[in-house]
Amino acid sequence: MTATHISPADRQIGAVAPVRRASRATGGGQRRLGTGVLGVIGLVLVLGAWQLSAWLGWVDADFSSSPFGAVHALWGMATDGSLWPPLLSTLQTVAIGMAISVVAGIPIGLVIGRSHLLHGLTEPLISIMYSVPFAVFLPIIIFWFGIGGEARLVIVVWSAIFPLLINVVAGARNLDNNYLQVARVFCASPTLTMRAVTFPATLPYILAGVRQAVGRALVGAIVAELFMGNEGLGYVVQLQTSNFRMDDAMAAIAVIAVLAVVLTRGVAWVEHRFTFWSSSV
Amino acid sequence: MSGNAAKLRVHDLQLGHRSGRSGSFALAVDGLSFDVEEGEFIAIVGPSGCGKTTFLSAVAGLVPVQSGQLSLDGHQINGPGRDRSLVFQQASLFPWRTVLGNIEFGLQAHGRLDGAGRARARELLDLVGLAGKGDKYARELSGGMSQRVNLARALATDPQLLLLDEPFAALDAQTREVMQAELTRVWQADGAATGKTAVFITHDVPEAVFLADRVLVLSNGPAHLVESIAIDLPRPRDPSLKRSPGFLALSDSITDLVMQQSQPEWRVQSDDRHAHLAS
Repeated sequence: MTATHISPADRQIGAVAPVRRASRATGGGQRRLGTGVLGVIGLVLVLGAWQLSAWLGWVDADFSSSPFGAVHALWGMATDGSLWPPLLSTLQTVAIGMAISVVAGIPIGLVIGRSHLLHGLTEPLISIMYSVPFAVFLPIIIFWFGIGGEARLVIVVWSAIFPLLINVVAGARNLDNNYLQVARVFCASPTLTMRAVTFPATLPYILAGVRQAVGRALVGAIVAELFMGNEGLGYVVQLQTSNFRMDDAMAAIAVIAVLAVVLTRGVAWVEHRFTFWSSSV
Repeated sequence: MSGNAAKLRVHDLQLGHRSGRSGSFALAVDGLSFDVEEGEFIAIVGPSGCGKTTFLSAVAGLVPVQSGQLSLDGHQINGPGRDRSLVFQQASLFPWRTVLGNIEFGLQAHGRLDGAGRARARELLDLVGLAGKGDKYARELSGGMSQRVNLARALATDPQLLLLDEPFAALDAQTREVMQAELTRVWQADGAATGKTAVFITHDVPEAVFLADRVLVLSNGPAHLVESIAIDLPRPRDPSLKRSPGFLALSDSITDLVMQQSQPEWRVQSDDRHAHLAS
């Protein structure tokens, strides 16, 4: 239960909190470095050690790649244009998969959360589906849907929809009854109650779910591309590794990393922008 | 219905709810009868858990009437209605709306949020002493300010009957005093002109005496009416009234009456006060 109920309070350990903590820390004392600065230093140290190992011949750079090699390869992929089709393909898979998950997941989650019967019936199922690593379903999905674009979408939706559902259901269940009583006392129509009370009240949960879902959707898309793709960043990593072009594979991995950070930070920003009123933010 | 024009008529009212898995029926109110005249400010006191809040919820239309008469302007109450507003006990403001947005909610729900409605909301913002704070969000407000918004939201729809469910119970003593004075002020400024009627639930007897035209004492649950005491203290009332001997005597005797409901062996310091009340 604890693993499956991700409330907005969990945002403390999410992507929003570190930024704020950093600014508070730097404001506190001049000698203490913010976690943001420390994070950059840590990153530079590890990349520096890696680069040094490659230069000094401690590791074979053809085998391990190197930060400069990866940057060089990335520059090459960006200038000759070979970076953009796989990046767009991955983004498209994630975007369509997320759109399906959001459009289906939010209403389904709200309905399940508001119904005692439906919640009782589906709670164990959703928890199991959330907990089981979705990658185990990969062979079956390939068997059912083949290895085309639709199969990749199925995997993205499969991986993204359960964290979203769990959060939306939790939000609908935790809906403060006082809010609904206010709506009843003032004779608000069911539509107004849904639009002006239920939806905003559950929005912190919904957006927390979307942020988790985006992360999982990207994982789903990359895994799908690794195993069954013929396009996308995951496919580039797979292809270049088997071609022994480690610098190109590392460059694609770096792009995936940036994509992951941008996507989750982006949703975290939306969360902050639209649920600033929530006491748990 | 009957001849005289009571605003709110309560006759032989029975309220209750099914409790627990056994489905046994627990009575909260049994055989309660009284009338409220138009423009009257009624305060209801009684031992805690006696069914005061259940009664108020029934008037608001949130709790179904089991049997008996509960009618407003001659029409039996069988659900929430636009002619009634409720000031909630705890902060029930929507945190995603501004102060002004919260005050406007009732008008929006009634489909009356036009130019006049917005002007009305703004007027109430000033009246409850929150001028210039309309853009603030609920979490930026103190408990007292939240209840001012709560009151303004209830008044915005111009209800025939204003219901207040222990609105100041969660406030600290000083804020509560201020809010009681504010409520009488707002009431006299906004309510008196339009002939609003109010039913105020509280467990604080001095608060009831200070605010009300009439205090009703309910018995231990299931509640019925024990006593109806007219408060003939002059209006406008200001907080210094609470230190006057007449006010204190009235409060003490009503407090004794309330205490006797939950503890029958409760003995009063001076029995002659009771004799005075009964006469």
